[in-house]
Amino acid sequence: MLIALFVVGGGIGFSLVQSLGLLPLVGEASLSLDAYLANGDDLVRGIGLSLAIATASTALSCIIGLTAALVITQGRSTGRLVAGLSAFTIPIPHLVGAASVGLLLSDAGIIPRILGIPGTEWPDIVGGSWWIAVVLEYTWKESAFVALVVAGVLASRVARYDETAALLGASRARRLRHVVIPLARPAVIVSAIIIFVYTLGSYEVAWLLGRPYPEPLPVLAFRLFTSITLTARPEAAAVAVVTTLISLAVVALGMAALRRTPLWK
Amino acid sequence: MTMMIPYGQRVTPDRQATSRSLMRPRPVGRAARIILSGMLALWFALPLVPLLLWSVANRWSFPAPLPTEWGFDGLGTALAQGGVEAFGRSLLLSLAVAAIATPLGAMAARALAVGSVPAPRLVSGILLAPLALPAFVAVMGLTVVLLRLRVPAIVGVLLLLVAAALPYTVYTMRVTYAAHDLAFEEEARTLGASRLQVLWRVHLPLVAPGLARAAFLSFLVGWSDYVITVLVGGGTIVTLPFLVGSFAAGVGNDAIVAVLSLSAIVPPLLLLLALGRFGRRYAGGTRTPSASPLARSEKGFL
Repeated sequence: MLIALFVVGGGIGFSLVQSLGLLPLVGEASLSLDAYLANGDDLVRGIGLSLAIATASTALSCIIGLTAALVITQGRSTGRLVAGLSAFTIPIPHLVGAASVGLLLSDAGIIPRILGIPGTEWPDIVGGSWWIAVVLEYTWKESAFVALVVAGVLASRVARYDETAALLGASRARRLRHVVIPLARPAVIVSAIIIFVYTLGSYEVAWLLGRPYPEPLPVLAFRLFTSITLTARPEAAAVAVVTTLISLAVVALGMAALRRTPLWK
Repeated sequence: MTMMIPYGQRVTPDRQATSRSLMRPRPVGRAARIILSGMLALWFALPLVPLLLWSVANRWSFPAPLPTEWGFDGLGTALAQGGVEAFGRSLLLSLAVAAIATPLGAMAARALAVGSVPAPRLVSGILLAPLALPAFVAVMGLTVVLLRLRVPAIVGVLLLLVAAALPYTVYTMRVTYAAHDLAFEEEARTLGASRLQVLWRVHLPLVAPGLARAAFLSFLVGWSDYVITVLVGGGTIVTLPFLVGSFAAGVGNDAIVAVLSLSAIVPPLLLLLALGRFGRRYAGGTRTPSASPLARSEKGFL
């Protein structure tokens, strides 16, 4: 409890204080918004980019993960295969996933080799201007997470309702639309919040598979934080504070959406 | 599919038969399901293929779809570059995180479950907060403090990782304690067992599966971390992800990256398998097959 309070409260608090220029490593402390303005353009561009990556990854993960969960809860041998493989994906570190996606999709990767496309004609998936490899890596890992969470919820509740609806004459499409999806919705929303916040604040994948410029927020903060100039520290803290505010806003939005679902107790 | 129930036919002979006849897959649906499952299986498995191939490739010049020269050069270089030391360091660090975060999480969860905490919603909110906040924010705020207090880097890393792992352990144990009946412990006390005996013989065995899941999740937090170790450790703490990151950022290290990455996948997978086996043995085979050990703890987020 104390540790969590120290790390969370302290982390945000000191980031805020630093970003306002009150805790410099050298020189006089003074209250100012300079750190927020110093990289104004980069910051705005980073916010847009980070939001875009997080939105794309979250949406794709939820769609693929929900599909996988439906296949898993069918409970036949194919479902077990998908369940096993997706559970297998969960404990793999994101960094390893990123390295592997790089080996798969870069212009000298395995897929262009198999397809026989020379590197010069292969689209810039890794390090390209659309950040496709980054989104794909997040989607790969996080769709397994969605599949796991949603399948766990569906396995415990869906079978009986589904059978009842079938007995009452509901068609397949109607059962999916009116029984399975509503039952899965709270689980999907919760995992979407977690994924969005994670992809917004995660560094290593965007650093490894992205391009040098423009930078998403964590990469920008990381570069400023580790740069040689000491004045960059408050600027890094400013980026951190902005990221935190976005995360909190997203969590609040998500919780509001969650409260509107009929199943939330 | 429209359902017609002919007049006079028994509608619910028994659940098994009804569900089979009503929900039997149609041929088209069956084919679609198999194709869909195949695509999903490919989706989950494909990113692991390059690791397996590259880890045994000495040379793999561009257009060739398979390695042009097989061998273990990647393994040799990885060993020479301190792979074993980094592996050991990562293992120690993750085990330490699990060893600290699991009992802390269990105690907090028990206090929350018994109701002996003032303002329980606030407390659980704070304990779960690291989930909603990017790790680098906490790191950037706290390094200045840790530096001024002269806390050694390794202690700082451990502290931050434990905080990052606490939400998982607290939640897993909260779910466990919700299903845990304190009456067993009271019964044992009434029968004359000491507090220590109750803890060791009654309490811990009853919550053991939950503890195992919590320990696994906190181990994962330590094992997969990159940002905290790099920023707080300042490059002095060389863990396995750190090595993977620095090789993957360079060019031409593909075989080394593959070997290191594979070695970063193996321990958590072994633990996951062990956890599944432990859970099954513990439950005496009464668990539903679809509820994997992870599913039970991860769905705890709800």
